[in-house]
Amino acid sequence: MNMLEINNLKTTVGDAEILKGLSLKVNAGEVHAIMGPNGSGKSTLALVIAGHDDYVVTDGTVQYDGQDLLELTPEERARTGVFLGFQYPVEIPGVNNAYLLKAAINAKRRHEGRSEVDAFEFLQLAREKMKDLDMDPSFLNRGVNEGFSGGEKKRNEILQMVMLEPRLAILDETDSGLDIDALKAVAKGINAMRSPDRAIIVITHYQRLLDYVEPDFVHVLSEGRIVRSGDKTLAQQLEDKGYDWVREAASA
Amino acid sequence: MIAIAHELLEAAVRRMPEDALTPARKAALAHFATSGFPTVSDEDWKYTNLRHAVELSNTWLGNDIVASPESNLTAAAEEAVKAITESIDAYWIVVANGIATVDTMPGANDLRSNGVSITKLSQNGDVAAIIANDPMTSFNAALLQDGLRVRVQPSANPSKPLAFLFVDEATQGDLSQARLIIDVDAGATIDIIEAHVSVGSDPQFANTVIQLRVADGARVGFVRIQERADSHMQVGKLIADLRRDAYFDYASFDFGGSLIRNDVAVNIMEPGASVNLNGLYLASGKQHIDNHTRIDHRVGPSQSREEYRGILGGRSRCVFNGKAIVHKGADGTDAEQSNHNLLLSETAEIDTKPELEIYAEDVKCAHGATVGQLDNSALFYLRSRGLDRDAAVQLLTRAFAARILAAAPIAETHAYIAQKTDQRLDALIHGDSQ
Repeated sequence: MNMLEINNLKTTVGDAEILKGLSLKVNAGEVHAIMGPNGSGKSTLALVIAGHDDYVVTDGTVQYDGQDLLELTPEERARTGVFLGFQYPVEIPGVNNAYLLKAAINAKRRHEGRSEVDAFEFLQLAREKMKDLDMDPSFLNRGVNEGFSGGEKKRNEILQMVMLEPRLAILDETDSGLDIDALKAVAKGINAMRSPDRAIIVITHYQRLLDYVEPDFVHVLSEGRIVRSGDKTLAQQLEDKGYDWVREAASA
Repeated sequence: MIAIAHELLEAAVRRMPEDALTPARKAALAHFATSGFPTVSDEDWKYTNLRHAVELSNTWLGNDIVASPESNLTAAAEEAVKAITESIDAYWIVVANGIATVDTMPGANDLRSNGVSITKLSQNGDVAAIIANDPMTSFNAALLQDGLRVRVQPSANPSKPLAFLFVDEATQGDLSQARLIIDVDAGATIDIIEAHVSVGSDPQFANTVIQLRVADGARVGFVRIQERADSHMQVGKLIADLRRDAYFDYASFDFGGSLIRNDVAVNIMEPGASVNLNGLYLASGKQHIDNHTRIDHRVGPSQSREEYRGILGGRSRCVFNGKAIVHKGADGTDAEQSNHNLLLSETAEIDTKPELEIYAEDVKCAHGATVGQLDNSALFYLRSRGLDRDAAVQLLTRAFAARILAAAPIAETHAYIAQKTDQRLDALIHGDSQ
């Protein structure tokens, strides 16, 4: 059984159809990269999987571990192990970063029938993971993403991911706008998550991140469909030839 | 248009015992006769209709029970008093149905030895201090049985805040008038709490006036906590006069009441004074909460900072009107005010009007107001991390209120206010129909 199986997915936002029959299979242990030009539907795919209600599914199915993912609320999806690293993480002044992190972990643990996380262990683990990501521990006591730089926000997304240990992680352009140090830190965080029972989908516009996070599969999204799939060499081809190459190939 | 039955009011004032306040009552009655209760055709009362308060007043005035010198509280009211006085560590002075029993006040000696004296207005003799210059302060003075006169001496150093609890119950008096006159002497520092609770399901109308004079270099922290019963009305007015280099740090919290109107009028009378006004109002059901503030910068340099925030659910209606007036010659005035509102339901309504009137040259002033709904992207972000919708809404509304909670002076009140805020938000989010 595939961990994630998307069949002929069509979605609209407002009047516009963004995904026009997208199909994708992802197995545990795999890292997939989804590349594509701006406006091709990459972020829409990520948000639909996470359950954003601005996006209306008009056709197709999304199965996650054999269950209908589209039936679940965003919070249910999160608790069963789906994680979205946002392209634009939201600033929430007044909501403490550590509080959110702990609430998120506890929501998942309650769902799994486990007891709440011990406050001391939580802090210790958070500090350890922040060190790995080269994040200052003071970020725990700030408002969620409040006043964070672009790089700090992305590191914070990765921090949430490593703390929540999702089964399926979707990282939406986590690499965009990062300097090389931040990119390396983020890549390190992603690589540390690679595991036989976890799947990771990396959505990116550029090949750069894939120098550090080696994907098992690369897919090219264009105009709401996956128009080409291959191994990591496809990313290099894209870098060399540009997206026009796949667009032409797709329409040919 | 329904109005106060003047002959009934006159008779009621006449029935009151002859004492030191009699001349003040008569003067106030004469002043009130020229205006009557404010109506919605008065610009300052455009959104707040006192019709029910007028009806209740007429019934009460006709009942011929005006002067009740004793004010024994029922068990229910005693419970309400305990709930707050046992939660906030302070010198509590209970004003029951408008009457303060200062003689039996616990901690009175302690306060006195720490430079704070409290006497009845009638014993103090200085009735000229009673302000009765608008309809509601006149109505208050005309029917005032007695009030309290508080003096905070320069050397005052009480170890706890000075706290006044206004408690009303519909079974005792449907109408109550209470008044405090507080003088804070030059250089003194004091924390003052104004709290309101009430019990009973019958309508009740309280009209309170607090006159505060902050002398040169004195510092006053002030927290108002209003949690009246959901069938009760209150009109309150705080008049604060600030002298040279005085500092007045005020925060107001509205949790309860059916119709609440609170006026804060700050007079900056000498240079160097500084005032902070912060307010939070949480309204649900059919609550009506109206906050009117007015800061007169009569001289400069001086500074005022004001921020009120509201979270509204159900069919509640709130009003914010914040006026800052920079008088001619008040150069060096620095005034900022803002009002932010979060509407959780489509049937809630806010009327907001921050106003600046500037007649001086060299000033720095800013104002603004916002009305919005919960940020959908923030809500989704929290849900995508596993928080259910209610928990996410609770977190976001709490974050919206957090600025005002953080700005409140008087640490002794913080835990209580935070707890009340959480309770009210919970009720608001779950559509509690008050």
